[in-house]
Amino acid sequence: MPHDPYRALYIHVPFCTSRCAYCDFTTQAIPAGAPVIDGYIEQLIERIRQLSREGELAALETVYVGGGTPTHVGSKNLTALLYALGLSMHLTPEVECTIEANPESLTERMVADIWALGANRLSLGVQSFDDDICAVLGRAHNGEAARRALAAAQTRFENVSIDLMCGVPGQDRARFASDVREAVSRGVAHVSIYPLTIEERTPFARMVRAGMIDQPDEDAQADMMEDAARILRAAGYERYEVASYARLGFESRHNSAYWAGVPYLGIGTSATTMTQNAHRRMRVQDGQVVDDLDAVQMAAEDMMLGMRRSCGVSLEEVERVAQLLPALRQVLSDLEARGLVVRDAGRYKPTERGWLCGNELYGALLDSASL
Amino acid sequence: MEVDMPQDISHIRNFSIIAHIDHGKSTISDRILEQTGTVSERDMQEQLLDTMDIERERGITIKSQAVRVSYTADDGETYQLNLIDTPGHVDFTYEVSRSLAACEGAVLVVDATQGVEAQTVANAMLAMNADLEIIPLINKIDLPAAEPERVREDIEESLAVPADDAVLASGKTGQGVHDLLESIVYNIPAPEGDPTGTLRALIFDSFFDAYRGVVALVRVIDGAIAKGDAVRLMATGTQVLVEEVGARKPVEEPLSELSAGEVGYLVTGLKDVRQVKVGDTITAVEGGAAEPLPGYREAKPMVFTGLYPIDGDQYEPLKEALEKLSLNDPALVWEPETSHALGFGFRVGFLGLLHMEVIKERLEREFNLDLLATAPSVEYHVFVKGGEMVALTSPQEMPDVGTIERIEEPYLKAKVLIPPDYVGAVMDLTVARRGIFVTMNYLSPTTVEMIWEIPLSELILDFFDKLKSNTKGYASLDYEFMGYKESALQKLDILLGGKPVDALSFIVHKEKAYDRGRVLCERLKEIIPRQMFEVPIQAAVGGRVLARQTVKAKRKDVLAKCYGGDITRKRKLLEKQKAGKKRMKAIGNVEVPQEAFMAILKVDE
Repeated sequence: MPHDPYRALYIHVPFCTSRCAYCDFTTQAIPAGAPVIDGYIEQLIERIRQLSREGELAALETVYVGGGTPTHVGSKNLTALLYALGLSMHLTPEVECTIEANPESLTERMVADIWALGANRLSLGVQSFDDDICAVLGRAHNGEAARRALAAAQTRFENVSIDLMCGVPGQDRARFASDVREAVSRGVAHVSIYPLTIEERTPFARMVRAGMIDQPDEDAQADMMEDAARILRAAGYERYEVASYARLGFESRHNSAYWAGVPYLGIGTSATTMTQNAHRRMRVQDGQVVDDLDAVQMAAEDMMLGMRRSCGVSLEEVERVAQLLPALRQVLSDLEARGLVVRDAGRYKPTERGWLCGNELYGALLDSASL
Repeated sequence: MEVDMPQDISHIRNFSIIAHIDHGKSTISDRILEQTGTVSERDMQEQLLDTMDIERERGITIKSQAVRVSYTADDGETYQLNLIDTPGHVDFTYEVSRSLAACEGAVLVVDATQGVEAQTVANAMLAMNADLEIIPLINKIDLPAAEPERVREDIEESLAVPADDAVLASGKTGQGVHDLLESIVYNIPAPEGDPTGTLRALIFDSFFDAYRGVVALVRVIDGAIAKGDAVRLMATGTQVLVEEVGARKPVEEPLSELSAGEVGYLVTGLKDVRQVKVGDTITAVEGGAAEPLPGYREAKPMVFTGLYPIDGDQYEPLKEALEKLSLNDPALVWEPETSHALGFGFRVGFLGLLHMEVIKERLEREFNLDLLATAPSVEYHVFVKGGEMVALTSPQEMPDVGTIERIEEPYLKAKVLIPPDYVGAVMDLTVARRGIFVTMNYLSPTTVEMIWEIPLSELILDFFDKLKSNTKGYASLDYEFMGYKESALQKLDILLGGKPVDALSFIVHKEKAYDRGRVLCERLKEIIPRQMFEVPIQAAVGGRVLARQTVKAKRKDVLAKCYGGDITRKRKLLEKQKAGKKRMKAIGNVEVPQEAFMAILKVDE
């Protein structure tokens, strides 16, 4: 179908040193240097060249190489990939180019190489600086390795993000708060805070069934998420999405694209491509159409995604969407009455409660398409 | 049609097959039909006699059936055998007694690997009370674990039934079925009755047929009945012209007449199954019998529940479905009811809990309805000051406490059969349920009969399940209505978010109010999911709060990660969540799952 140009590119690297206890992402544990890795990178490069010839990469504004663990493929593969990208699109400094990394495989050499080839943002999977918590999560690194990797990243990159996890078995409020404070003191530009969720077919799910660990306590997680919000705000970070905090100017433009209904292209195993025009939105994953939305459903989804962001949705946008979703105005004023959204400076924005109980808020907005 | 010869009464045998569940009653019935050539192997559908899906799935029989087979015995004579299948549950004790009254004998099936079990005893007792000749049959003798000798001793010891001549059989291989047929012919007495006397026929079941109206299954005791006869149903006074008589083989075959001793069907053409009652006597309009056959009882609903469509749009379809089921089920009674919490629905009366479950399941399955049932209640008699009596089947109708003089509730006479080891366990349970001990008899070294008086309202609170589990499945229960007795009863209200929910209120004995209220609040706290706000749950009597629990407000409910591929997943999750909510009932702004309304049934002291 004729579609709007893709403005974001996601490249998936499905390899890791080992699998973490909570992980249900598309990835496999494989020794570094395995030939299958080289083969996979070759295929990614071929696909990038092909898409470039087809003109699909011309309007990209952000690139995100994620996983899995992109740094697990080694310096040579990673530089080859970035080199091919640089030849295939306008990888100028204005393009946000993020490489995801895990502490055990990020070296100073790699940092220097990828920076030289145009990467300008590093997202480091720290999860915790606490050795015990790293061990519970089944991470391939400990606190010290995380600190070393972060220091290495910061030799070149100003825009470094780290992920931290809360609600991990054995983690109390104080331990988690000290992780957040350490992130602040190490000067990271961006922090993502994720509460642990137990996914099916993971070691954690099996441990819950066996009674070895409890389901995460939602109240404790709420406390920790609120603690993080408080500590980070006091340190000058803005919460711009449910799970994302950044110092001014360091919001992830790539992630924001997902919440703004911007079309994106995915390359590699399980990567999702969202192709759309004014009337239709499709998502394709591994050659399968996983979503096919009409204009009404698209509008409802945009409202739901918009409410993940602190900026919410503008009243003009609401008026425009209300042409398609007549129930929307009523739904929003009900949500306002329930304290899940607030009207502020010409926009509907989520409240703290709207954030923590997002499923209520998003569910109501999604339903506005079927009212 | 075969050539009609007047049936010689000495060549008729009427019998029923009784067994503990899973001991092979249905396979034995099937083999009889097969070996007498009544049904060809090709047409054999497993468990032919149980026709309803639910009957087949649960392995229980709800309606009675009668099948006639023709059998030429080793003596060269041809006999008419009528196999009457009876319902197998305590809810249907009366129906069973009427079916057994149509028989002279019973085949008692006992599993050769299991021996005598609780239901074997209970059923054997029913058959003995009906003065039936009992033929023991030891089934499944083809199994390696079969111990026919031990089981033979077991039958003699536990049931005091001579088992020397017990038939050894296998429903699976068909072995021993010939012996069984011979035993039926020689051991079960021929019916006694006067073919030329005044017509008296017993109705032991009836059902509605869309083309022919109500069809009755009958056993002619005296006289004969033929197409065109003017007959009167003595209990209801209904008069009809008989449109057709015949036998079910199991395909219906019209006959010129049914005479004394015979079992068959009778087409009445009546439109309402309530006019053709189980246990009623058919006699001639002209010169009919003066006295009906003994044992007739009005089938009275004992248990009442509110049935509400989850989706208000399904009120009319529910009404139509109840109308349809009532056509065939005279024991099912219903009237419209309105609940503040649940909207428009029906108050429905049943013979017992199983009957209730079966009807609810059929409504949901056969009519595709989503239903919510409130906790079952019995019919209370409330005497208000000034002497007037109000019969109420729903706690919602309870008059103001100040106006009540006294309340009476239905009591049952319950008979429990158990091995002696469990006397203590039954004692504990029954006393906790306000049972009054009447007497205890040793029927045999392995069977004790305990007689209790117990309020029906206590019996419908999972009493039978408890009894079973406390006696490792050995207990069997039989009960009959005794009468009304005064009790210190109160209405217990449940409040959600400070507002009483009428559909959750129930009537309870004063001394139990606190415990039941406390436990119910705890159960509801587990059942009601956390909402966006705190939900206090309170149990109160007359405005006085006895117990309280709180469902804390939900603080976090969000999927943190939501990037490219997560969006689809997230939307699907939200849709699933929405579908989950659909199965709940919104009471005010509190989402209450269906099982909350039945929680009172699972209240353990």
